Amino acid sequence: MATATGITIAPTARVSRGLWHDAFRRLMRNRPAIVGMVFIAIFVIGAILAPYIAPYGPTVGSLANNLQGPSPAHLMGTDLQGYDEFSRVLYGARISLTVGVIAVMFGLIGGTTVGAIAGGAGGLVDGFLMRVIDVLLAVPGILLAIGIVAWLGHGEIQIMLAVGISYSPMFARLLRGSLLALRESDYVTAARSMGASPVRILLRHMLPNALTPLIVQATLAAATAIIDVAGLGFLGLGPGDPRVAEWGEMLTDSSRFLQSAPYLILFPGAAIVISAVGFNLLGDGLREALDPRLKR
Amino acid sequence: MALLSVRDLLVRFQTHDGTVYAVNGVSFDLDEGETLGLVGESGCGKSVTNLAVMRLLPRPAGRIVGGHVYFQDEDLVGLDEAEMRDLRGKEIAMIFQDPMTSLNPVLTIHEQMVETIKAHKKVTDKEARARAIELLAMVGIPDPEPLLRNFPHQFSGGMRQRVMIAMALALEPKLLIADEPTTALDVTIQAQVLELLGRLAADHGTAVILITHDLGVVAGMTRRTNVMYAGFVVESATTADLFAKPSHPYTVGLLHSMPRLDAQPGEPLIPIEGTPPDLRFAPVGCPFAPRCAWRLERCFAEMPQLEPISPTIEVQKTGPKATHRSACWNQPTADEALAGRPLREGFAAAAVPIGVAR
Repeated sequence: MATATGITIAPTARVSRGLWHDAFRRLMRNRPAIVGMVFIAIFVIGAILAPYIAPYGPTVGSLANNLQGPSPAHLMGTDLQGYDEFSRVLYGARISLTVGVIAVMFGLIGGTTVGAIAGGAGGLVDGFLMRVIDVLLAVPGILLAIGIVAWLGHGEIQIMLAVGISYSPMFARLLRGSLLALRESDYVTAARSMGASPVRILLRHMLPNALTPLIVQATLAAATAIIDVAGLGFLGLGPGDPRVAEWGEMLTDSSRFLQSAPYLILFPGAAIVISAVGFNLLGDGLREALDPRLKR
Repeated sequence: MALLSVRDLLVRFQTHDGTVYAVNGVSFDLDEGETLGLVGESGCGKSVTNLAVMRLLPRPAGRIVGGHVYFQDEDLVGLDEAEMRDLRGKEIAMIFQDPMTSLNPVLTIHEQMVETIKAHKKVTDKEARARAIELLAMVGIPDPEPLLRNFPHQFSGGMRQRVMIAMALALEPKLLIADEPTTALDVTIQAQVLELLGRLAADHGTAVILITHDLGVVAGMTRRTNVMYAGFVVESATTADLFAKPSHPYTVGLLHSMPRLDAQPGEPLIPIEGTPPDLRFAPVGCPFAPRCAWRLERCFAEMPQLEPISPTIEVQKTGPKATHRSACWNQPTADEALAGRPLREGFAAAAVPIGVAR
């Protein structure tokens, strides 16, 4: 638009439409994050559509044609039981993704509850909860998870709980740290000066502002959760049912045939790595999208 | 009866470096509808004094260790948190220095304003919304209704400070504490916001404590002014008297270190040499003594009380509350205040600051 002075003022290129909208746009411009999302999408679609796209069921096959190499009939070969490896990798995605994601949810719920109470209450409550968290953090996560599975027994729920509990201290720490910083922020003081109640300040003013590091951390944790779930399966602490296809247990079963049938370990291994890398790329992308100061 | 009476307020901070003596016995009164200026350099305790009045000191470090804050005859120091919460926003409201950070970035203006209104009044969302629109119009935001959906980052600094003022005045508080409300704004916006603040406070009969380090702001806005230094009120007077007859060496120094439009060409600014004292040391004597050209031996031993200035200096009395008080053993005379340095025998022309580390 030309003005009388001849100075042209370009109309604002785009109107800011709020934090989440802007973050989404930044995420969509982040190529590695898109790659990560594609990786995750492949496994999610594969998991959902497994009954339709898998050429065989997870427990269909005969011992007669076990340990066969990849062929048009069996794209990834067959395992010791003669089950189709490709189908089992697809079905395994169901377990790995759901257990991994739900485990992170458990960790997130437990961790944020503890972190919010500690960061919100402060004082003795904070001190006590943080010492408990310190104790949990002193035990390596996978060891803690092994202990919990050993205690609660085999099963998917047990694995979710085990991984969730071992992840919760991390989330509790993260949220508490953010809340402590936010407690001194101007707008929290301003909200207090307006007479807002502590619960309201915690839930309405502080938590939404502390959310972004949690979202990033949860996405990154989904990557390690998939590895940890597979790790538990590998150690024999998986779902406990040999008929259930689980990437970790598939690795264990295949390790005996590392010499004769290396493809058996290659495909579930690749599935674990690719899905974990997918969540990592997405997590890094989210971190950059949600924190505009972090420009590469 | 005064609306607010602060008596011998003592505030300490416990830090890893030791105790910080932030406010060391501050007393002042504020009548209904009165405007009080609180000036002093950064770290002199002016903000801490007011956070203490609001009982919003950062916990657990900051603590009121003595004194009283009477608001409408009630001692706020003794109230519990829930009782304080009822007062905050409703009876005493606060405007902060930086409008860029004092609005929550993830909540819309609507949510923040309605929240404030509903925190104290039982009204429906619709009524609260109508009130919010009315308030935004009052602070000069044109066509406020669609703007309610916006987030703070979509507003300019001046607009945000207007929103803050609207929120602060939402429940028609009796006392408004404005902590450097215009420091973060550019000069033209400063004038507009100050004018607005002054007009609204007068319209609603709201008493205002205006915290600032800008003497110009004080001159235009306030009736009385307290000058603070290192946690003490060192001089208190009507704003007119303070500028006409500064009676504490620190006030004299402040006035002379500020450029004036009516200064003679070539007339130098006289800086206050040295630095403010380290508040981690318990105050002994007058905190300004190490930087003061008027200092005496006793200044280092004994803190003078804030008392009506000596009768030898003429006081321009404009009312019963106009008492001009200064906390100084050796008050500058009128001529000295004008010159910005002691003119009597035995005093150096300018203070030689003494190292503050003791």
